[in-house]
Amino acid sequence: MIEALWQNIDYVASVLLFCIGLYAMITKSNLIKKFIGLNIMETSVFAFIVALGVVEGGDAPIMGVGASPPFINPLPQSLILTGIVVAVSTTALALSLIIRIHKQCGTIEADELREME
Amino acid sequence: MSKLFDILLLLLLISCALAVVRMKDLLAATIVFSGYSLVMCLLWVHRGAPDVAMTEAAVGAGVTTVLFLLAISRTARYERR
Amino acid sequence: MKRAAVIVLLVVVAIPLVLAMADLPPYGSPDSPAYTHVGAYYLEHGVEEAGAENIVTDVILNYRGFDTEGEVTVIFTAMAAVLAVLMASRGGGEAGTRPPLTPPSVVVRFVVRVMAPLTLMFAVYVIMNGHITPGGGFQGGTIVGAVFIALTLVLSERDATRLIPNRPERVLQAAAPIVYCLIGLLGLALFDVYLGYPRTEEMGLLRTAMLVTLEIGIGVGGATVIATIFRTMGSDQ
Repeated sequence: MIEALWQNIDYVASVLLFCIGLYAMITKSNLIKKFIGLNIMETSVFAFIVALGVVEGGDAPIMGVGASPPFINPLPQSLILTGIVVAVSTTALALSLIIRIHKQCGTIEADELREME
Repeated sequence: MSKLFDILLLLLLISCALAVVRMKDLLAATIVFSGYSLVMCLLWVHRGAPDVAMTEAAVGAGVTTVLFLLAISRTARYERR
Repeated sequence: MKRAAVIVLLVVVAIPLVLAMADLPPYGSPDSPAYTHVGAYYLEHGVEEAGAENIVTDVILNYRGFDTEGEVTVIFTAMAAVLAVLMASRGGGEAGTRPPLTPPSVVVRFVVRVMAPLTLMFAVYVIMNGHITPGGGFQGGTIVGAVFIALTLVLSERDATRLIPNRPERVLQAAAPIVYCLIGLLGLALFDVYLGYPRTEEMGLLRTAMLVTLEIGIGVGGATVIATIFRTMGSDQ
């Protein structure tokens, strides 16, 4: 099993990054730090899905001059393009909500916000 | 050789992520996060996904970092605990 | 105490995931099921059926065209939501003035003024050549948005508000969904399928024209959305 893990070390690194992001999201009380944790989780999932499509010794999936089979799977890459756009949209919306919370309540620490209710 | 480069990039990625989580100065954390995005872009070029790498480079360095800096300038710069 | 509990929870979450990673087909193998069924079909028939040499553009604009329509709607909705959240407390009117910043140094001003036209030309190249080389509509649109952000920092305030023209501003922000709907209705009128493309080689010119129009629409829409979000978040409260 250790050999299987060593061969799939890229997937294991994605799991590790996911756990680092999850730790930041649960323990930190600053809202912006929580949101950085969410972003790390999102990019780790993107890295995992793109790594699923890699073929050893393959070229990028662009049929131009000088490209020869085997090609790398184009399907995960297109799904991740849409995913990155959605991640940017959630980043913009979450940060504007944080700005609004700060203007309304004066703080962006989750503990102080909870005591304010 | 290619696997060694892969492992080097992954180690750099994990150390950037750990540094971002531990820093208390949010401005420094944003800059390191921009570096994390750059290393992710290199990883995708290495894996043969140029479209995804271009999108991540433009979005990570151009849009996400700037929006974080705007948010930090309007709220607090240091994390309180 | 709480931190130790969180670390135990994370270890409990991580161990089944890592064990599952050991069971996946080995990294880089050409026999994995993700590669042999649909991916192989797209690689083989992509260029003749969809007309773009960049297979990823093929997939996102032709084979999975509805997903991209959803994506442009998502980013437009995010911009509308940012406007709704941040402008509600200002009492209407246009995006207000910027808070007084220290003026940027001579080096920043010179470099931005020299690099901006070159970067814009590169962005237009990326948008127009999205179906031949790596690139595409959203990549080029984001680069245009980034140039806009750099120019906002160095121009005077009166010039910066003129970067997005005032009257067509609403149409430019919605450019991506509008262009997508128009091309989809064109496909409906010509080929009886919403967002249908010609499949034969004689109409290859029409097919490439539809692809490039979609790319330009996504590029313009993405750039304006990013510029609007930056201007809204950056202006004075």
